[in-house]
Amino acid sequence: MTAPLLDVHDLVVRYKARGLFAAPSKPAVDRVSLSLPAGSTLGIVGESGSGKSSLLRAVLRLVPVESGSITLDGQDWLAIHGPALRHARHSIGFVAQNPFLSLSPRLTIAQILAEPLLARGDKPGAAMQDRMALLLSRCGLPPDFLARRARELSGGQAQRVSIARALALNPRLLVLDEPTSALDVSVQAQILNLLMDLKADFGLSMLFVTHNLKVVAHLADQLMVMRGGSVVESGATARVMSAPQQVYTRELMGFGRRA
Amino acid sequence: MTLLDIQGLSVTIPSPAGPVQAVRRIDLNIAKGEIHGLIGESGCGKTMTGMALLGLAPAGAQVAARVFQFDGIDLAKSADALRGRRIALISQDPAAALNPVLTIGRQMDDVLRTHTLQPKADRTAAAVALLAATGLPDAAKLLKRYPHQLSGGMQQRVVIAQALATGADFLIADEPTTALDVTVGAQVLALLRQLVADRGLTVLMITHDMDVVAAVCDRATVLYAGLSVETGPASAILTRPRHPYTAALLAALPDAAPHGQRLAAIDGQVPASTKPISGCAFSPRCPAAMTLCHTVPPPARVRGDHRWACHVAEDAP
Repeated sequence: MTAPLLDVHDLVVRYKARGLFAAPSKPAVDRVSLSLPAGSTLGIVGESGSGKSSLLRAVLRLVPVESGSITLDGQDWLAIHGPALRHARHSIGFVAQNPFLSLSPRLTIAQILAEPLLARGDKPGAAMQDRMALLLSRCGLPPDFLARRARELSGGQAQRVSIARALALNPRLLVLDEPTSALDVSVQAQILNLLMDLKADFGLSMLFVTHNLKVVAHLADQLMVMRGGSVVESGATARVMSAPQQVYTRELMGFGRRA
Repeated sequence: MTLLDIQGLSVTIPSPAGPVQAVRRIDLNIAKGEIHGLIGESGCGKTMTGMALLGLAPAGAQVAARVFQFDGIDLAKSADALRGRRIALISQDPAAALNPVLTIGRQMDDVLRTHTLQPKADRTAAAVALLAATGLPDAAKLLKRYPHQLSGGMQQRVVIAQALATGADFLIADEPTTALDVTVGAQVLALLRQLVADRGLTVLMITHDMDVVAAVCDRATVLYAGLSVETGPASAILTRPRHPYTAALLAALPDAAPHGQRLAAIDGQVPASTKPISGCAFSPRCPAAMTLCHTVPPPARVRGDHRWACHVAEDAP
C-alpha cells in the first residue's frame, strides 16, 4: 500500500480556558488519529461538540495544535509556516456549509473563481477565462454563469460554484464541512452525484464532515464517528453501517425509515 | 373526527414583480389526535400554510379558501382568536423563540398569566408541572435559569411546555428537530408522540425530513409548488408513493441507492411562484409526463384514504 495522502496521529486541539488561573479546558480534539489514502473519501460524523469541526480546522491550519502530528503528502504539515504555508495550502480545497455565506454577494462568479488563481500569481487573460469556464463545466454549470452574481443563483448552483472554486488550484485534498446540510433533498442528491463524479474522474481525496450519517455513508470509503473530542468508532463504511460496534453509532443512524 | 378541514387554500402576496403565489391550492384534512406530516422542499408553501392557520400571513397577503375550518370554527374570521388559545406554534429554532434576557420562569409565567386566572403560587406550580411533563429534570430549579444556560434540546422542551401552557390542543410544529442533533431530535419526537397520546393533542408536523414522517406521523400531505399533490397514511406515502414527485423525492434520498451509486436527482427546478401553472406543476420535471400533463390540470385520484393528483393511471391495485 502506498503512503497515505493525509496522516493524522494523536492530534490534540485545546482551546484556552478563560482566566489566567483557570484549570486547563478539556481538549476539543483528544488524541485523534486518522489515515486517508489518496483517492479515497473519509466521512467524519458527529454531533455538536464532537470535535469534528475543530479537527477540520486543525487540518486546515486555522487553529493551533497542542500535540500530535499531521502529515500531508509526505510532508510534516505542522512544520510549515509563513509564505511556505500560504503556498502549501494550494493542495487543500475547502467547501463550507452555506454557499451564500461563503460566496460574496457583490462579486460576479468570474471574480469569485479568479481569486484563488490571482492569489497563486496567474495573470488575468484568455487562459484564465478558459480555466474558469472549465471549472464551471466540471461542476455542471454553463460558462455564461461567469457573468452572474451569487445572489442570482439557487442553493444548488451556488454550492456548485463553491466546489468549482475549491478545485481551482488542483488540490490533492478536498475538505467539505456539511456541504449539503443547507440544501433540499433533491438538490443534495445532485451535489452528492457531482462529488462522486469528481472523485471518479480526478481521483480526488475527500474529508467529508457532517452530522448526517446517511449522507456521508453513501459516498465515503471509510467512516469515523466522533463524540466529545474522541473517535468512538471507525472503519470501512460497509462494516460500520451494517455492524456498528457502538450504541452511539446506531443512535446516529437516526430514527424512522430503515434502509 | 375532523379537527382541521381546509379546502382550496391559497395565499397570494403582492410584490413589485407581481403577485407571489406562496400557496396555490392546498387541501388539508386532519383528524383529532393525529400527527399529520406536511412534507415539502423550500418554497413549496408549507410554512406559509402554517402561518395562515395561525392568522400570521404577511401584511397585505390575500388568504382565500373554499373551506377553512378548525373544529367547526371559521379560521378566516377567528384565526387571531384561536392563536395561543387552541392553536400554538413550535418553531424550528428554540433559541430564537425564547427571550434571551428573561428567565425560563418569567417566560413560562407570561404565558400562564395571559391564559389562566390562577394566583402566582398556582402558576409557579403549573409551570413546574408543565416543564416536568416535557421531561426536563429539576424543573423547579430551571425556573431561575436563562435560555443560554440550556442545551438546544432543553430549550425546545421549554418551547413545547409554553405551547402546552396556553392550553392549546392543536400544535403546529415547524421543523421542530431541524436545528437539533439527531439523537436529541429523536428524543423530542418521542416526547411529542407521548404528549399526543397523554393529552389528546393534534399536531401538524411541518418537515422536509422523511425520517421524521416515518418516526411520528400517522398521515401526511406532500406539497409541491404551493399545491397539495398527495395525501394519505404516512406508511403508504413512504413505501407506496402514488404521485411521481413523492416517488422522486424518496428516490433522491442518499440511502435509496446502493453505496457509491448515482442518486436519482430531480432535474430542473420548481416553477417560479410568480408564474401561472399550466397543466400539472410537476410535468416539466416528471419522468412519466405525457403531452396531456403539460396542458390539462391532473385529475384527483382516490384509493381508500389515499388521494393524489396525477394523469398517469394507477397501475397496480
